[in-house]
Amino acid sequence: MDGARQNLFNLIRVQKDLEKISGQILARLPRAGDLVADIADLERDTQDFIYHWTEVIALSNEELAAHFIAKAPLAFRFLEEAAVEGWIIKAMDAFDNRGLGFAIEIFDDLQGYVDAHQQHQTGCRFDQVAGLLRYLVRGLGGRALQLACEPMAYTDTERICLPPTLGAFPERDENARLYKCTAAFLWAQNRYGTWRYRVLEQAIRQLDAATTWPIYQRLETVRLTACISRDLPGLAREMATIAHADEAARESWERFTAQAFDLCAIDAGAEHCLQRVVDFIGKPLPPPLQYQGEMLPAKVREVLFKRVPREKAALQQALASLQQELGNEQSQDPESGPTGDAANRFSISTTESPGGAADFESLEFNDRAVPTGPELEALLASILQDLGEVEDDYLNAGTLGDSYPASAELGQGPGMELGEFDHGSRVELYPEWDYTRQRFREAFCALTEQDVPFGNEDFVVQTRAKYQGLSKSIQRVFEAILSEAQRQKKQAHGDELDLDALVEAHVDRLQGREMSDRLYTHFRKSGRSVAVMFMVDMSGSTKGWVNEAERESLVLLCEAVATLGDQYAIYGFSGRTNKRCEVYRIKTFDEGYSSNVRRRISGMAPKAYTRMGVAIRHLGKLLSAVPARTKLLITLSDGKPEDYGSYRGRYGIEDTRHALLEVKRSGIHPFCITIDKEAQSYLPHMYGASNFTVVDEVHKLPYKIADIYRRLTT
Amino acid sequence: MPFTHNFEKDHSLNTASDAAERMIEDEPYYEPAGGEIEVFTAAYRNQLPVLLKGPTGCGKTRFIHYMSWVLHRPLVTVACHDDLTAADLVGRYLVRGGETQWLDGPLTHAVRTGAICYLDEIVEARKDTSVVIHPLCDDRRILPIDKLGQLLRVPAEFCLVVSYNPGYQSVLKDLKQSTRQRFVALEFNYPDTEHEQKIVATESGVEAETARRLVKFGIHTRNLKGSGLDEGASTRLLVNAAKLITNGIAPPLACDTAVGHALTDDPEILHAIHELAAAVF
Repeated sequence: MDGARQNLFNLIRVQKDLEKISGQILARLPRAGDLVADIADLERDTQDFIYHWTEVIALSNEELAAHFIAKAPLAFRFLEEAAVEGWIIKAMDAFDNRGLGFAIEIFDDLQGYVDAHQQHQTGCRFDQVAGLLRYLVRGLGGRALQLACEPMAYTDTERICLPPTLGAFPERDENARLYKCTAAFLWAQNRYGTWRYRVLEQAIRQLDAATTWPIYQRLETVRLTACISRDLPGLAREMATIAHADEAARESWERFTAQAFDLCAIDAGAEHCLQRVVDFIGKPLPPPLQYQGEMLPAKVREVLFKRVPREKAALQQALASLQQELGNEQSQDPESGPTGDAANRFSISTTESPGGAADFESLEFNDRAVPTGPELEALLASILQDLGEVEDDYLNAGTLGDSYPASAELGQGPGMELGEFDHGSRVELYPEWDYTRQRFREAFCALTEQDVPFGNEDFVVQTRAKYQGLSKSIQRVFEAILSEAQRQKKQAHGDELDLDALVEAHVDRLQGREMSDRLYTHFRKSGRSVAVMFMVDMSGSTKGWVNEAERESLVLLCEAVATLGDQYAIYGFSGRTNKRCEVYRIKTFDEGYSSNVRRRISGMAPKAYTRMGVAIRHLGKLLSAVPARTKLLITLSDGKPEDYGSYRGRYGIEDTRHALLEVKRSGIHPFCITIDKEAQSYLPHMYGASNFTVVDEVHKLPYKIADIYRRLTT
Repeated sequence: MPFTHNFEKDHSLNTASDAAERMIEDEPYYEPAGGEIEVFTAAYRNQLPVLLKGPTGCGKTRFIHYMSWVLHRPLVTVACHDDLTAADLVGRYLVRGGETQWLDGPLTHAVRTGAICYLDEIVEARKDTSVVIHPLCDDRRILPIDKLGQLLRVPAEFCLVVSYNPGYQSVLKDLKQSTRQRFVALEFNYPDTEHEQKIVATESGVEAETARRLVKFGIHTRNLKGSGLDEGASTRLLVNAAKLITNGIAPPLACDTAVGHALTDDPEILHAIHELAAAVF
């Protein structure tokens, strides 16, 4: 009886709790009674968890919250709390980025999430191993191969493509090993001549996709496995442990290897595999090895067709400039060496390596070895990897100044693709902190960098004239600043005795010479290492006085900071919604204080809203790439962070605060200069009690700013 | 002005020891790479100073030890550091029992005894050391000692050798043209595979096959130079690893400890180096 009463009380309490958080939501549910019963069965902590998140989700959308709470008790049956949280965040991100429909779908498809989660627990993701594999493949040598994430595992001879996740094994470590072995095997295809130009062409002519390619692929795998066990026995042992799905596969593979044993010889090449294909037509084939990936000749051919002529031209040009250098040396010494163009010839020495590949050894000019730089060596190695030899017409030094695009410089082949994105304004995605969820909204803000249109340089001239006196005094003060201590010896005054100087002085005294009075060591500050990023508010509210004061301040500051030799950059920021965040380049770190910079300062104009978090993250990233001991991020602002939509009030402040904490963690000191008189109410929370300054009158900003900067950096 | 200072404990001042102690008595093991012994000998006979360029651990110091043995000259080695001044090289007055006493610095000592003076990592030293190095290195061949008011004539047996690692790529650690253009420069690099295997085997006593794999591993790490590592494994590191292996340490562990952790702290690259070692053995 007591138990039943307890149950009833529980139900009533849950019912009340639910009504308290949102009567509306409950009304949307078809089977509210069952839900109350389900929730009442859960632990008290779990119930609180559900209430909390229902409230948070309801802030974004009530219907979404209803879908959540309907499935929540069920979710706790399959998942632990952290996983349920992941499910919620996934749906919320979908809501932010793709809309309500997608978010509801995620809540409704609980089973799908549970499956994916279980796979995720044991599977291995590409990004978990990409860093390691990149170094590993680079370390193994040969052409610098890039790593890419694609649905299939294959290589196109410039990239090794691997799938986004691998889950063939029940343990994550084994799946990570599968990644490693796949990458190593695809590397071996490149290293041991699978994709040699002639063999590839012959294979494409001779084989058909349905019957003979699979044979060829397995024969190549036999050969490559032998190559790897010769050169990298440790790796080969590891590969053997995961090669086969079961014992039957192992046995059939061993039988197959025995039939093609001649391909394990040290001098066997891909062409031998091609010859042996006919022997296996119609015979049963063993299942492919777990890590062998796919062979996609069409993709390789496409890349090869671009690379071969590019590298040929690059080599000829490199040889031409080398010949010119060598020619200059010889002409100073006309007695030695053959004369005339016919005698001037390059030749190459190579060493044979397994798989019939050839390694570059040395380059000779008129039979005399000549020095090759790392770029030329990499180029020759790459050509040898494609062709197996360097043909004579490759070694005819081209004429200098051949119209070869500079972007296709030696060894930069794969990098070019990345470069293509650099044209125009590139969109970068940044997360945003949502304090209600205590989570990042991943890739929520889309940010672009833009140039500020040039303004009239007269503005700078006028500012200089207006603040002539001030400018000079700032200059003097700044010249006196020297920071970061160093002990200097033999000083007239100081905090410690300089023992060496003292002994010398004593010797002088004994020998009857005049004693020096410079007997102290002194800690003096010299050698600054400061980098500053000025982040200037260009929101609509700065229109008028504020904008002008900001621009004037920048003019004065630039000249003063340049005196100190500090590295500095100036960026403006503004934006309208998370989809259109913008920062405006006024001066980058690499640029001097040029006339272009001055014209950009003049051209700064008020734009839209103040979405600060994303700007801080982006500019903080730029700043942390600069080598300096002290890094400062100084914000010039006129008010609170604020943007169209939800980015106002506490949300904006909390995101900004979080972004500032992030940059602080990377060793950057943030500081804010503001003219908002109410800043006391929110700035201490964002920047900390002492990391901001309120300038109460706009027109005083130019007077104050240099002083603030001096205080900050000394 | 009363003061006390215990000179006996100060090793930096204890530079003047017997020249004979610095004679290299036993032949050091050195594997010539091609021509450097002849060039050095010719430079020595013509009283030309020598600059050794090359990455760390590729055999510069060993070469100087070897040449000192070949030429039967004592060797004075100074490891330069950023507080090394001209006075540290030339010498200074000391006070002993109220009397002043001059103590030669290592450079002066080497000049007086006709030794080979080897300034290791010359770019680390203070700029004012060029005051004494320059007159030594051109045809004047003198060492001015201003405290004594002396000009030391440099004997024909004396030879100045400096070393320098161009790989640092720091503007602060570049050798000035006015200094470098006084030297005959010998460039050192890691030996080729065959020689390196021989060196690793001879220095440590490992089997030829282990040496071959170690050298292969070394080349793999050198591939990472510029993409993750500042330098690949030097021959010295490979020899260290080989020595651990001869003492019964498992090869992958020896590579991790003697090479991987010596090269970097980055966990991802360490992992990759570990995998490379495991792949080779």
